[in-house]
Amino acid sequence: MAVREEHRSILDEDEEEDEDEGSRHLSPLCDPRHLLHRILVLVFMCFLGFGSYFCYDNPAALQTQVIQDMSLNTASFMQLYAWYSWPNMFLCFLGGFLLDRVFGIRLGTVIFSLFVLIGQIIFAAGALANHFWLMNVGRFVFGIGGESLAVAQNTYAVNWFKGKELNLVFGLQLSMARLGSTVNMNVIGWVYGRIQSLTGSAGHSTLGITLMIAASTCLFSLTCALILGFLDRRAEKILKKEQGRTGEVIKLTDVKDFPFSLWLIFIICVAYYVAIFPFIGLGQVFFIEKFSFTTVQARAINSIVYIISAPASPLLGFLVDRTGRNVLWVLLAVVTTLLSHMMLAFTFWNPWIAMCLLGLSYSLLACALWPMVAFVVPEHQLGTAYGFMQSIQNLGLAVMSMAAGSLLDNKGYLFLEVFFIACLCMALLAVVLLYLYDYHTEGELNLSASTRAERLKAE
Amino acid sequence: MSRFKVNFIFSVLFVVFGVALGFLGNGDKFRRKVTVELNPGLKPPSSLPPGVALVHARGLGLNDTLHFVLCNLGAPALLLVHTNSTESAVQVTWPAFINRSSPGSLRVAPESSVTYSSALVFTRIWEYDDVNNTADPQETAESSFYSPYELQNFIWSDLNTTANQSDHVITLCGRENTESFANGSLCLRLSVFESAGRDRAWPSLLHNSNSSQLHVWLDGLTPRGNLSRFALEFQSVGDSGFQGRVDVRSSIDDEYTPSIFKVFDWVSLPLNSSSVWGFSQWKPVAYRKPEPVFEDATPCRHSPLVPVSRIPQSAAVRAYFTHEPQVRGLNISFGVDKDPVHYSDTRHISWTVLMGMGDPPADSFSTLIIIIMAVGLGTPLAIIIVGGVFVCVRKRMTRASVYEPIN
Repeated sequence: MAVREEHRSILDEDEEEDEDEGSRHLSPLCDPRHLLHRILVLVFMCFLGFGSYFCYDNPAALQTQVIQDMSLNTASFMQLYAWYSWPNMFLCFLGGFLLDRVFGIRLGTVIFSLFVLIGQIIFAAGALANHFWLMNVGRFVFGIGGESLAVAQNTYAVNWFKGKELNLVFGLQLSMARLGSTVNMNVIGWVYGRIQSLTGSAGHSTLGITLMIAASTCLFSLTCALILGFLDRRAEKILKKEQGRTGEVIKLTDVKDFPFSLWLIFIICVAYYVAIFPFIGLGQVFFIEKFSFTTVQARAINSIVYIISAPASPLLGFLVDRTGRNVLWVLLAVVTTLLSHMMLAFTFWNPWIAMCLLGLSYSLLACALWPMVAFVVPEHQLGTAYGFMQSIQNLGLAVMSMAAGSLLDNKGYLFLEVFFIACLCMALLAVVLLYLYDYHTEGELNLSASTRAERLKAE
Repeated sequence: MSRFKVNFIFSVLFVVFGVALGFLGNGDKFRRKVTVELNPGLKPPSSLPPGVALVHARGLGLNDTLHFVLCNLGAPALLLVHTNSTESAVQVTWPAFINRSSPGSLRVAPESSVTYSSALVFTRIWEYDDVNNTADPQETAESSFYSPYELQNFIWSDLNTTANQSDHVITLCGRENTESFANGSLCLRLSVFESAGRDRAWPSLLHNSNSSQLHVWLDGLTPRGNLSRFALEFQSVGDSGFQGRVDVRSSIDDEYTPSIFKVFDWVSLPLNSSSVWGFSQWKPVAYRKPEPVFEDATPCRHSPLVPVSRIPQSAAVRAYFTHEPQVRGLNISFGVDKDPVHYSDTRHISWTVLMGMGDPPADSFSTLIIIIMAVGLGTPLAIIIVGGVFVCVRKRMTRASVYEPIN
């Protein structure tokens, strides 16, 4: 559940909605015009994605258990992540279309939440029945729902908060997503332990029951989707406004017009994220084996990236917005990530240092990289550019997850880390080229915020 | 700003490469000429029991000779003797050796040339019922132990020797005459090396021409309980005046043995010195399948080193060590706390130890890793330098040439 959410935060808060002052007397909590009501909606909006974030990293949090109970090797374990990514290579393009043209936001959200819930139930059933292929099917279905649900969540946010507290809401949703991942990382192993002591033995059915319990978070999210749909329709009736739209227009023919710098951004995106997410997926056992961590400690350190990212994303986003110079920020983020991976690979230094650094640089990259797209393509191509970026990112993650798994099986952790470092070097190369290209063509990627503002004024 | 950045990155890379090259260090090119002979000088009427043999591997260096003797009369033992002569030879007084293994019936002559000798004896296989699933014999109640299999009572078969370009391999298998061993056997495979290298099979320990490798596996044995786990008892015998200890080294390099970051060295060193004369080296990993994949690895641990007062029941050791030798023992046990897999699940466990003289070998980065790091870090670095120059030049040119009008 990579990074699909970051780019939404650059949507402008342009149009102020003119509110219709039709006065019916409703209590503030029930009045769609009132802040209190919007806060209520926001709560449901945030929990809409909680289930999918919670369940996305179930395999990482239960790595040893999944591998043991299903008698897998690491390569096949990583397929659970790959199968999640495969459908999203296409759904990045389709999600917005389906929401706008086919289902509508309300029905669409409910359908995607259903996909998430059913996917997780199939996943758990696969464990209960001891069929690994069924687990993969579950992850596939889960993937169909997961990413599109995030698109729906953002559309809701725009619809309700445009021109008001939109950036704050995006920030909150992102923090909520991280919270879901963090809670999962630290809690699900404990749940497994409880069930193990209740049933008296570990095995695929223990795993299945644990995953079924995790599915309850998806049920919860589905409930949120239903309530949100109800509230949205009610608001539509009262305010006589239209159903929200993603506004994404995808035209694949735009791809041939993409500038060179956009391709460099794509390379950075893929090369960087494949060094983060597969690593977190495999991290738990790494910390146990190399640094002699206990399972609880390993889960905690593996979730630190998400924990840091929750508060750091809005702060760093603010910083990048104020200073500009995105390329330098991206460069800094890639170099620090490279350093932290090197620390993990070549030293026995306390891995908390490296992981905290990784968490910070990961947040910084997200804040600085995704908005750059808007500087290099015209606005009408933005939807296509982002869709394409996420699509190849998912392709990269799917392929690299499996590659990382089998690399670990055959060559060990040092080699895996060197592989990640090589990916980061590729990202570094692309950033440097991007800097030079931008410098050469006098683009605005690396301008300071004030110069950018001046340019804008001059136009 | 950008120059500072370039400098910063450059110095970081410099440090990293320095460290990497430091690890590279010493390639071991030293070779020995190895010859293997079976039962040197044995003539009728003297004869060994069936399956029993004394294998002598002679590693001839430039001005020294390293002898390895593997003998399974009594408990199987691997004896290492180093001499500073190229002419030294192993001499066995066969009748005395076979009947009473009387001291002196196995010697390396001339005795004055011997600089260091040591032996590793494999004495027992312990089996215990791991009721608490801790996989730690130290924590297990004595009542949970079954009576151990004494290797001195084993019946041996299938001695076979093979040799290729640089390695000489001797395999011997044995079993106790009991129900448990009906389909099972314990096998030892000794590899003697002419030069440095490593086995393709895990744990792929790095060896050099001063060491030999013993691969031990326990296959098809019927465990006496469903929760049975095994431990191997080893004793080391050495000249008095040497002390022994087990060192743990952490290594960042798990390329050859995936997910294993530790190496154990059971070293022997003179009482008043810190230089290591001989070692037994292993990684804390055992494998549960004959052709293991990643998941078949299981951790193993060792008990503390204890002094043993009796010389083990091994003919080679009793015949070679004439003066009160020092004997120490330890157990290697397999499995990890809460390990759900027991011996009965795969009926196979294998473990590898390297025995040699001098300093124990240390892993270094493989060439592949160094190339990847060099190319990976070098390319962006080169572009940064070239690009940095380009940017600087261009900045200077614009500054020098353009006195633009103020608008």
